[in-house]
Formats: sequence, C-alpha cells, structure tokens
Amino acid sequence: MSNRFLALGIVLSAAWLFSSPARAQQAKPPIGEVTVPRQPGAVYDRDLKGKTPTAAPRRDLSGTWGCAAGGGNPCGGIVEGKQVGEGNMAPPDGVPYTPLGRQTFQSHKTTGAVVVAETNDPICWSGGRDPQGFPRILFHNFRSSVILQTPENVVILYEFGQISRTIWTDGRKLPEHPEPTWWGYSVGKWVDDYTFVVETNGLSGQPWLDNPGRPQSDALHVTEEYKRTDGDHIMMTVTVDDPKMYTKPWQGLQRSLILQAPNFTIPENECSPSITTQYNSFVANPGGVEANNKK
Amino acid sequence: MSNRFLALGIVLIAAGMFSAPARARQGGAQSWQPTPVYDKKGENSAPAPTRDISGVWVPAQGAQAGIQANGAAAMPSDGKPEHELPYTPLGRQTLQQHKPVGGVTKVSARLSNDPVPGCDPQGFPRVVLDNFRASRIIQTPDRVVILYDENNKWRMIWMDGRKLPDLKDNPEPAFWGYSVGKWTDDHTFVVESNGFDETSWLDHAGRPHSDALHVTEEYKRTDQDHLVLTVTIDDPKMYTKPWVALKLPLRLQAPGFTLEERQCSMAEYNKFEGTAVPRTNRPAAPPPAQQ
Repeated sequence: MSNRFLALGIVLSAAWLFSSPARAQQAKPPIGEVTVPRQPGAVYDRDLKGKTPTAAPRRDLSGTWGCAAGGGNPCGGIVEGKQVGEGNMAPPDGVPYTPLGRQTFQSHKTTGAVVVAETNDPICWSGGRDPQGFPRILFHNFRSSVILQTPENVVILYEFGQISRTIWTDGRKLPEHPEPTWWGYSVGKWVDDYTFVVETNGLSGQPWLDNPGRPQSDALHVTEEYKRTDGDHIMMTVTVDDPKMYTKPWQGLQRSLILQAPNFTIPENECSPSITTQYNSFVANPGGVEANNKK
Repeated sequence: MSNRFLALGIVLIAAGMFSAPARARQGGAQSWQPTPVYDKKGENSAPAPTRDISGVWVPAQGAQAGIQANGAAAMPSDGKPEHELPYTPLGRQTLQQHKPVGGVTKVSARLSNDPVPGCDPQGFPRVVLDNFRASRIIQTPDRVVILYDENNKWRMIWMDGRKLPDLKDNPEPAFWGYSVGKWTDDHTFVVESNGFDETSWLDHAGRPHSDALHVTEEYKRTDQDHLVLTVTIDDPKMYTKPWVALKLPLRLQAPGFTLEERQCSMAEYNKFEGTAVPRTNRPAAPPPAQQ
C-alpha cells in the first residue's frame, strides 16, 4: 500500500533528473515567494533580469517552454506590468453563458467546490477515467511543453498526461463534419513572421472546458495565438467560441512562456485511475469528509 | 474529331498510369481520413537514406500485423513450447496474478484485472507490444520524439550525451521510462530504456515486468520505404535471460498522414464493449484493509 502511495506521489510531482542545476546562473526567488524545486535546465524570468532581450527569430516557436513567472502552479505572473494568468480566467463582465451553458455549468461538481468523493469531474486527476481533452489541457496544470516544427505540421508535447497534439500547416482546412474527438482537429498558419494562429474544431463536447467546470459542446471552436515576442518568450492567448454554451467568444487564457535550456527534461506527469482511486479511498476521501465535518 | 477524342483518351489514360503509383505512395496525403499504404508484391524501393527514421510508420504487412491480442508478436502466449518465456519463479508468480483477456491465461473481460481497459497508462513497451497501428517519428539534433496514436502519447529519446539513470539511485519510476539513443551505423538507431513503473503490464497477455526492466529497441532503415523495429526485453527479476518480443517491418506513409485518435475513456470503452461489461467512470474503490 505504501508503495502505491509513493508511486502516486512520484507520478504527480516533478522529477529531479540527471545532472544538478547550474546554480551560478539562477536568480534567487523574491523573499516570501513560495519556491518549488528547480528542474535542471529550468529558466524563469527572474534569471534574465537586467539582460537585454534578444531578437525574436522569424517563424520559430520550437523549443522547450516553461512558465515565465516561475515554476509550479499557477503559471502566471506580471509581464510588462500586466497580470497574465493561468486558466480559469473570466472576462471582466463574467463568463457569457447561454441558458444551456449555465445549466450545464451548474451540474458540474468540481473538486474545488465539493469533497473528492462527491465530484463528478470526469478526469483521472479527480478520480475519473476520462482524458482532459482539449482545450482543458491548456487550462489545467499547463506546465512545461515542447514545440516541434516540421515542414508539414507543428507538434506540441504536453507534460500533463504525456499528451501530444499535431497542428497541420500543410494547407488543409478544418473538417466540416468531423468525427468528434477528445483532442480536436487543428490547423495553423503564420499571420506574420512572429505570430502563429491555430484553429481547432471537431471536439466531442464530453470533457469539461476547465477546472471550475465551465462546459463545452461539439460546437466549440478554439483559437490560439502564439506570439514570439523576443528570443526567450512566447505570449500565448486562447479564445473560446462555443455558441451553444456562450453568447460570445471569450478569452480563457493569456500566458507568457519562457524558453528553457535544451537539456530541460519534461518530468512524467501521468495519471493512473487505479492508483488515484486507492489514494482517494484511503487519504483524500476520508480527509475531505473529516474537513467537511469540522465546518 | 475522332483523332481529338483519341488524343484526349490517350492523355487521360497516360495520366492515370503515371499518377496512380504516386497516389498509392501518397496514400491520402493532407487527409483527415488517411488511407494507409501497405506492402505490395513486386514493389521496389529506393535505397535507405542516411541516419533518417523520421516519418509516419505503420505495419508493412497490414494493420493485423501490429495487433498483438495474444501478447508480444515474436513470443505470443499460445501454449507452443517455442513461445514459452524464460520466467523466474517471481515472473511466473506475477504472471499468475494477472488476469488478461488475451493469451493462454485469458479470462472473460468481466473477470480481468488488466489495468489498461480502465484507462491506466499503457506505458512503454506495451504501447508497441499491444496494438501498434501508426506512429510518427520526429528527429531533431539532440533527440528523437516518437508519437503514438493510442491515447496521443509521446516518448522522448535523448541523444545529447546523457546516460540512463542508474537504478541504484532510485530514479522516479515512469510509465514511459527514460530513453537514450544513438546511431550504431548510418541506418541503425538503437534505443535503451529503463526506470519503469512496475504497475504496468508488458503486453496484452499479462506478461509481467519489474522496475528492473531494460528495453532495447533497434530501428533499422532497410530502404526508403521500410523500417524494421526490434524490441528486446531484459528483466532479471522476471526472466532468466533477455528475449525478443517484437520484430516488426514498418512502412513509410505520406507526410500528411494523420494519426487517428484512439482514446481511452469510459464512454469509448462502453461503446466498444457494448453493454456486456458496462463500467462507470469511477473505478471501484479497493476493499478496506483487514484489521
């Protein structure tokens, strides 16, 4: 039993791999900031303080990318004086639900609102067996990622769930009547030398949009913009457009990514439903009930 | 006028003759519904490129060649003496604890304890020893990345000079392991992997592996259109000697070949299995510990 919990802890935490970090190049975190173990090859914005940004390369997003503000979660911070954040953002005037959207949202019992034993969040990390799907993979625990560019596509490798996505750049159009999928059909193009825009459709509507349980339907269309702002940064913006669930498009995420060292190794962050169930049964559920009883 | 129709007919026929092979080789490029290209008798291929295994690869003889319902294709669990694996006592004991739905020890789906139908990660090497359909290999100067269609998973094989972790240092167990690779000649890429999470199975027939598992893959580019993947299992806790689990010829597909989504979820599982063994999205909790 203890080995299973240890295994669960291991697969849920970042891994120290291979060589030790080069401490001389790292800036200390601000006093009072919660720190997380620095991964070998990790680079944060504070490491580049005082240095002149290098020029953005043209039509190039390739590399390993981390959260510019620092390690761990949330992956947000202040960029050029503006707060950029993790997913779960809401427009200033609130999420523009349709009646169906609001009804569906209210039927979702997130682990932020109820104890683990009472949630109906379908993903493994909440005790279910379903994948996160797209775009929740951007809105929930987006940590490090690798972007690869080939002549016919851009491939993104995500840490959470060891998931890959392929964005086609070979001129094909989005399908008109696609077979619904968890991860969608994605096409992308450069709108200028530094801005890559991705459009995605063909989503099944089964997964939740994000952790608070915002809904999505099979009418969802997602637009991502990856703007290479300098040699070390991408500004990533994600817009949600789902006319069944929302009355208008809204921005779900804006995040600054920073280029990591080439040797940065994405730690494995897999979820096993059977191990999670054991953990919830013996730790999370009793703990949640106890916490509830104390309220 | 008849000469014009004849000329047009000749042009159209010629166009069909000369473009058909190109279409066959493209096999549905730029299509969301790709048509795989498999080996045909009498075909010739161009020579193998140097140090290049990139592209989308499917089993050369057809999809059936990658479907290993009775376990690793080179050593299926079929009761034949030549396919009996060299189990240690622990290996045999662990095998008997597994209740697979394939191989000679198979049980019905309702009685199986195979973790994969419940959407536990397949992990490596099971992803290539279970239902190998299509995968994409991408090469960069310091790594090789392999994408698998089953559950959209990826593996990273490092070529930056790092060594595999020493198991004595207790590396974090990983479903997908730690992998390093190198070219042993201009057409052969060899990958070594270790550091595996022992909770996964080796294949669909429930063969076991431990945290001592070491996997060697050889990717041999034999010509322009072909790659032969050989997988060797070495796990001294479970097997008395290494054994070859797979030797699978693969066929190159068009660059625009789209990997089909094959995603584990309870909705998908119940749709596939029908109502025979309906499962909820919540795995059953284990029984309380005995006091």
